[in-house]
Amino acid sequence: MARVVVDPLTRIEGHLRVEVEVNGGEVTDAWVSGTLYRGMEKVVQGRDPQDAFYISQRICGVCPISHGHASTMSAEAAMGISIPEGARLVRNIIEGAQFLHSHILWFYTLAALDYVDPVKALEANVADTYALAQAAGTGACDFGAVKDRLAGLVNNGQLSIFSNGWFGHPDYAADMPAELHLIAVAHYLEALQIQAEAAQVIGIMGGKFPHFMTSINGGTSFVPTEEKLDDVLFRLLKINNWVKNTMIPDTLAIAPFYKDALGFGGGTGKFLAWGVFNDPSFDLTSRYLPGGAILDGLKVEDPDPAKVTEYVEHSWYDNAESNLHPSEGEANAKYTEYNTDDKYSWGKAVRYDEQPTEVGPLSRMLIAYLRGVEPVQDLIDGTLSALGAAGKPEVLVSLLGRVAARNLETAYVGDLTVGWVTEVIEAMKGGSVDLFTEHEIKDGSGYGLWEAPRGSVGHWMTVKGGKIDRYNVVAPTTWDIAPRDRDGVRGPMEEALIGTPVSDVEKPMNVCRVARSFDP
Amino acid sequence: MAHEDHGAVYDLLKSRGVSRRDFLKYCGSLAAMLGLSEAMVPQMVAAVESGTKLQPALWLNGGSCSGCTESIAQVDTPDVASIVLDLLSINYFETIMMAQGDDAEKAAEETIKEGGYILIYEGSVMTGQDGNALVINGRKSTEILAEAAAGAAAVLAVGSCAVDGGWVAAAPNPAGAIGVQEFLTDEGISTPVINLPTCPVNPEWIVAMVVDVLLLGKLADGSILDELDDFGRPKLIYGQSIHDNCPRRGHFENGEFVYQFGSEEEKKGYCLYPLGCKGPQTFTNCPIVRWNSRSGWCIEAGSPCIGCGSANPTKHGGNWVDVGTPFLNRHRDLPLGGLGNTAPGTVAGVVGGVAGAALVAHGVGMKVAGRMDGGADYEPMKAHDAKKMKKGGGE
Amino acid sequence: MAHPAHYREAHPLVFVITHWINLISMVALACSGFYIHYPFFSGFMGVARGMHFFFMYVLIINLTLRIVLAFFVKSATVLGSREVDTDIKNWLPQKANVHQFGAWIKYYTFFKKDHPLGAKYGVLQKGSYILTVPLTFLMAYTGFCIYSPVMDWGFFQAGLNLVNGPMNMRIIHYFCMWVFIIFTAIHAYLANVEGVAPSRLIFAWKEEEGLHFDADGNPAGGKSH
Repeated sequence: MARVVVDPLTRIEGHLRVEVEVNGGEVTDAWVSGTLYRGMEKVVQGRDPQDAFYISQRICGVCPISHGHASTMSAEAAMGISIPEGARLVRNIIEGAQFLHSHILWFYTLAALDYVDPVKALEANVADTYALAQAAGTGACDFGAVKDRLAGLVNNGQLSIFSNGWFGHPDYAADMPAELHLIAVAHYLEALQIQAEAAQVIGIMGGKFPHFMTSINGGTSFVPTEEKLDDVLFRLLKINNWVKNTMIPDTLAIAPFYKDALGFGGGTGKFLAWGVFNDPSFDLTSRYLPGGAILDGLKVEDPDPAKVTEYVEHSWYDNAESNLHPSEGEANAKYTEYNTDDKYSWGKAVRYDEQPTEVGPLSRMLIAYLRGVEPVQDLIDGTLSALGAAGKPEVLVSLLGRVAARNLETAYVGDLTVGWVTEVIEAMKGGSVDLFTEHEIKDGSGYGLWEAPRGSVGHWMTVKGGKIDRYNVVAPTTWDIAPRDRDGVRGPMEEALIGTPVSDVEKPMNVCRVARSFDP
Repeated sequence: MAHEDHGAVYDLLKSRGVSRRDFLKYCGSLAAMLGLSEAMVPQMVAAVESGTKLQPALWLNGGSCSGCTESIAQVDTPDVASIVLDLLSINYFETIMMAQGDDAEKAAEETIKEGGYILIYEGSVMTGQDGNALVINGRKSTEILAEAAAGAAAVLAVGSCAVDGGWVAAAPNPAGAIGVQEFLTDEGISTPVINLPTCPVNPEWIVAMVVDVLLLGKLADGSILDELDDFGRPKLIYGQSIHDNCPRRGHFENGEFVYQFGSEEEKKGYCLYPLGCKGPQTFTNCPIVRWNSRSGWCIEAGSPCIGCGSANPTKHGGNWVDVGTPFLNRHRDLPLGGLGNTAPGTVAGVVGGVAGAALVAHGVGMKVAGRMDGGADYEPMKAHDAKKMKKGGGE
Repeated sequence: MAHPAHYREAHPLVFVITHWINLISMVALACSGFYIHYPFFSGFMGVARGMHFFFMYVLIINLTLRIVLAFFVKSATVLGSREVDTDIKNWLPQKANVHQFGAWIKYYTFFKKDHPLGAKYGVLQKGSYILTVPLTFLMAYTGFCIYSPVMDWGFFQAGLNLVNGPMNMRIIHYFCMWVFIIFTAIHAYLANVEGVAPSRLIFAWKEEEGLHFDADGNPAGGKSH
């Protein structure tokens, strides 16, 4: 029996500590700790309802758009504002661009190094690499130059961000050809440019990324013009093309070498999504990626925000009461010590219907699949066939499934985003586009439920005397990295780590893979 | 992968498939981006060609949202891969580095041992909960920063959080956030700090600093520090207000304003000043370098500036959230620290009202007292003198 | 019922002119300033800013000139007298002001029936006139602090740093303006509540007969005519 600690878990947003107990080469227990406390909710209180949009999105530099939208929606709900059709589309496009950006960045920049060994790529034969790329139907680029660049880096001895990487780790698929490693490294570099183009869409429509400006209470302050929409559409088409012809083929080419990852990393099997991308009805369950909860087998029910509660027994807060709804809870930070038997995280144990539910692309894609969203069904069914698991969506509840779901969602969102731009263009042809609803500041309470690329996000706001009286956020990562609750029930990531094979306790590659698959 | 004496940086670039022609072009575009004259290019080329090895660097995240890392990932001149592979050897970079856990920490330790590195710090310094607001690998993040900064050639505090705590330090500052400069001063660490505020940092500025250090040798000869203002910010970047360089400035001077989102004026792209634009009080060159590879920036996208580049590393309370909220209003309130806010207009209203009422009452009094026409009769002598005289007379 | 004579010696012509300039520039500054703070109608910003800068310089130069002249020009030492002395002596507290603070308070609040003997101005009046000088310079200082061509000068940087940046400095500037407006209102009221003679003198340089005082501010007996 050994306690194994990975701290910091790198290539994620923020600071995370993962501790596991390994018995007989498998994880038998796990503790996940968020090691940073900032107290954003207290900063927002007492300020104008509009200010929360700007401040609260800065919780997360990778998913600020989603926090911003959830915040704006909570303010609009509290003050009884409904937004016009044009603003709905503009917000969807900006959010969609962030999904594209985030998922591409996650797969290549953050996660790929868990499956692809850059040193192995040096053994590749460049000619064979082109052949393999063609066979896999993925994008080709100057593989020779990439290999030379890599060789220069290695020969130089200054490895920069690759310093102390686990090169040659036995958990890298032994039978994965060096040429596939080289393709992936080449696309790792290419992806940096593609994700940046997705962010440029937000640069145009939101002012900048990370942290955007335009989705203000009442609609949007972005005014679409032919010129700007053209800049946006051109980029989205390029990204969409790249996702379909590089990212998805890469996923399908690499996945078969890691089929064992269908056998672990699944977790609680309970899922939640508030849903994202509004259709004209603004109804959670009819969003393009609809809301839902999966608590019992693969059956989906409508989500109910009243069922969200937070436990703090294992978190560094000295609240008198626990298991409260986010709009009632108050976070009184009080660090004691890191103790896996007692308190060990700044994250609260957020639960849906008292159960640890996973959030993120896997939740959304499963819910969309079960709700019969056709493009999602086509994508998932196609992938299941490719993996030899046709008709068995339950295999997606695994490490590999979680990775695949994210990449498939990228393809779906790419199409949607292009579609919304087209809708705005059509609306402009037909005359004007309504973008903003004038309103007064009113007292009231409301919440905004939405999805970040990494999972469900909810903001709760109470306005009193024209100022924010209460503000509470349940961030996506809070769901997934939740510590134990009052009864000692593990959080989703902790549960997903159980059963993970560990070949080397010094370098627990699979533990990192599972933790990272949540995009925490 | 032994460490040994390396060839010139240019040789490195050459070995990575960069031709001399490309290299010259690259230096030229860097010069253009930085607003340097073409005449600087040969100097930059010479500087690079005489280099011996990549400049080591550490990128540490304090109380950050990783937004500044995200931001540097968006730069394209040069792209981020060139920065982390060809220009700098960033041996610790939590959000994108390959290593994890203890191995990641070891990479940082080795770099610190060797010295001569640049420390890039993202996020606020978390002093709250006795330093336990952020613990990495069992160590308080404040300890890690103190150690890494003490041995660094210079610290680049990127983003408003690293400069003065940023939004994390906004009232009531629940996690005790402060900026790097203040922390190092408190700890008695004299490593020079270069501050690059805005939330997140604009990546073009990091590149500008990298070029200053690598290509122009400005850290080696210390001249980089002479080009900083009182807040440790490069004057070239932070010397002018957003308002002064705003493409909508003409509308401001013409008095053409947007008073309401969704209005005709908004569609015409008029000035956003009445909607609380903080451009006049915010000093960055955002309108010139723009954001996300020059694809846009806040005001062009239709949003008033919220002043995320306002920061004061020399004292508390100057963070952009405390200074800039309410973001979409013309400000009338003067923050008085713990005493809350006071609005001069309101105070004036109250004082003026009281004064007005007093004057009216006084006027009525004057009328009643019959002083209106020519005033009351004069006292024959000062009351004080009269009293004194009486007293004196009594003696 | 009696009020002192208002002789031209109280306000030599040059001060009548500087007073006019003060009035005009302050009104122009306040109006243009209000507009710059919140441009409530369109099309005037360039003019408003131009006016604001122009009248700021006019006001500052005028005030400086007024202070310098105070050392050279002679004015009446006391209202209701033709005896003159260097103006600055009459502007700053005079011997006749001594011991009168309480008397003025009592008089203003109707606890004293008869009018206190004054020097050139009453105690409170004089205090407020003196304070307008630093207030005007503070106004100019805060204004320059938020004027980008000069705000990076060390002298202005120090102030900006003290108040946490240009946003707060602008609000302080705004605050000072309110002090001016309230001062002006009270000044205009008090100057005219006992009759418009002071206004006729300061604006039109018209004399009016009344009680006569000696150079020390004591009743000189009888009316001036």
